[in-house]
Amino acid sequence: MTFIDVVNLLINGCIEGLLIALPTLALTLVMGIARFPNAATGDYMTLSAYAGIGVQALGTTSILLAGLGAIAAGAALSIVFYLWVFRALRGRAPVASLVASIGVAFFARSMLTLFVGHDQHTFAIPLVRAWNFGGIRLLPTDLYVAAVALLAMLLLFAMLHLTPIGRQMRAIADNPDLARACGIRSGRVLLALWATVGVLCALGGMMFGIKAVVSPEFGWELLIPAFAAMIVGGIGSPVGAVVGAVLLGVASELSVPIVGPSYKIAVAFGLLLLVLLVRPRGLFGRALVAR
Amino acid sequence: MSSPITRRDVLLAGAGLAAASTLPRVAFAQDAGTFRIGTLCPITGAGSPFGSGMQKSIEAIVAEVNAAGGAGGRKLELFNEDSQTKPDAAVLAAKKLIEVNKVQAILGTWSSGVTLAVMPLTEAAGIIEMNCSGAPSISTLDTKDLVWRFQATNDRFGQAFAVIAEKRGYKRPATMAFNNASGIGNAEGFKKAWEKKGGKVVAGVVYEPNRPSYRTELQQVLAQKPDVIVTGSYLPDSTIILREWYQSGQPTQWIMPGWAANPDLVKAVGNEVVEGLISVDSVSNENAQSYKAYGAAYQKAAGKEGSTNVYAAMTWDMVMCLALAMEAAGRGATVAQINAKIRDVANPEGTKVYTFAEGKKLLGEKKKINYEGASSRLDFDQYGDVTPDFGMFVIEKGVLVRRDVISI
Repeated sequence: MTFIDVVNLLINGCIEGLLIALPTLALTLVMGIARFPNAATGDYMTLSAYAGIGVQALGTTSILLAGLGAIAAGAALSIVFYLWVFRALRGRAPVASLVASIGVAFFARSMLTLFVGHDQHTFAIPLVRAWNFGGIRLLPTDLYVAAVALLAMLLLFAMLHLTPIGRQMRAIADNPDLARACGIRSGRVLLALWATVGVLCALGGMMFGIKAVVSPEFGWELLIPAFAAMIVGGIGSPVGAVVGAVLLGVASELSVPIVGPSYKIAVAFGLLLLVLLVRPRGLFGRALVAR
Repeated sequence: MSSPITRRDVLLAGAGLAAASTLPRVAFAQDAGTFRIGTLCPITGAGSPFGSGMQKSIEAIVAEVNAAGGAGGRKLELFNEDSQTKPDAAVLAAKKLIEVNKVQAILGTWSSGVTLAVMPLTEAAGIIEMNCSGAPSISTLDTKDLVWRFQATNDRFGQAFAVIAEKRGYKRPATMAFNNASGIGNAEGFKKAWEKKGGKVVAGVVYEPNRPSYRTELQQVLAQKPDVIVTGSYLPDSTIILREWYQSGQPTQWIMPGWAANPDLVKAVGNEVVEGLISVDSVSNENAQSYKAYGAAYQKAAGKEGSTNVYAAMTWDMVMCLALAMEAAGRGATVAQINAKIRDVANPEGTKVYTFAEGKKLLGEKKKINYEGASSRLDFDQYGDVTPDFGMFVIEKGVLVRRDVISI
């Protein structure tokens, strides 16, 4: 194992981490503001990616158009399910919304497979050789994926910290009752939240689809790693989501030379346990106080 | 004409229902004239390209057997279900076939996961199971010798890979295996066979399903500079691996099983990436008369050439073996007695036969027969496994071209 191999592993870990960071952000935002773990996050990704594939199937090879289609579909889907399902469950125990979100996930996936079947799909993108810097290999597609993920995060943080709607979101996350007393209308804020969640899922789905293959189960399969990343980073913390996802990605990749590829996922979960032992609220989480 | 429902009506209806519920059993006892076969082909799901053809092939041969007067004095009766290529759905369907339809054999399970899930049920019911699955563990889990496999085991696929690698002059092979019974079976089978030939496998990884990338796994294997990589893989992971390998720019060759390296893979990654890739799949017993009979029947039933569906040839042989074994076991034989005759009618020593009528005639004359199948020579070993021939397909300009047939 040379230094160059380690650098390559590090790059893989970062890219995979950034990829997982997008759905993790969607999860953690819902967790912080709407206060339930949204198990349909993965299937929003899947459906958005299929929307992107659908745009390409219309005859264009433009990945940008496909991406825009995916984003529109993701946002629409997320808002529809909010208005249809999750809005009615507001104010009830989180477990009601959690169970409903599992139902939404199954429903969305079943509708998808009913119409498009189980076959895998791929985005039409030209394959290019990696740039080779003395053994350190950089894939242009990976850089593209990383750039989009980073840009999305930048925009999200700008929205959360620089715009009124972001401020209102953070206020609700902090203390819903106080926010209401201050005259923040939660309906509007929640619409904005779900639209954001849809966009994040769509971007995550697109990036995954570009890197791997689009199949009806891929989003659901990504749910567990995203949950783990959210917990490591601290529930409800956007910064934590990104750091947690990248940390788990890098840790599992770097462990490959030692434990082999079959156990790298176990290493990620080992790290999760370790973080929870030392810091139960996660890296960036706030201590939970009983209200 | 409104007549209110009286208590008497309800009682009568109840008594009627109770009587009706005992009917199937009575009917069954009187109906010793049929042998009940359940089919559990993958009509939907990952096996759907093959499933309907497999079922049609069974229907065609059952009609032929019945037209020849049935087997062992009995007609064959079919009950069709869809495995959906999913173990959970297949278990429900198998339960229905066993408990409601009282079938005496289940035919046509395709994926290893489905066969492994259905096996405990058929074993508990003491009925025959015939499948097209590859997982090596099916051989050893079949403790009552009721399970018959018409597809090559993954272990044999591995041996075929080794023969091809040797023929093509590769010196430094590496393996990549999907982490399940089938994937690891392929890679281990190759390693065993290759090392027996005195070779050495330079690297091997087992990778997890559903990952966004396999770069790290590839990096580990490519670091040993293999001249060929042998995989036990499926379509989605092969797509990702080949794309990432191509992008890495390091030259090597690939040998993959046919269920991964197929036209869908070419479509997913493009002609340039898969140029020269070797795809290995079992091929039917194409020169046998039984294959010609199957081909003609399949053309009629499914409207396609018999060669488009190797699994339909296997299901054809399933019914044939079963019917000949019934004939050999004689009138009124139990499932266990029929099961015990399957090797007798399919394995050597005996006159080679290719159709049911031929076999029935010779069995009537108390002669020993050896059915030569449409799918393979069909000689079952101690585990109830067969050894078909393998086709070596090379992908040239996006098309799979058969370049060689390998017997192991």
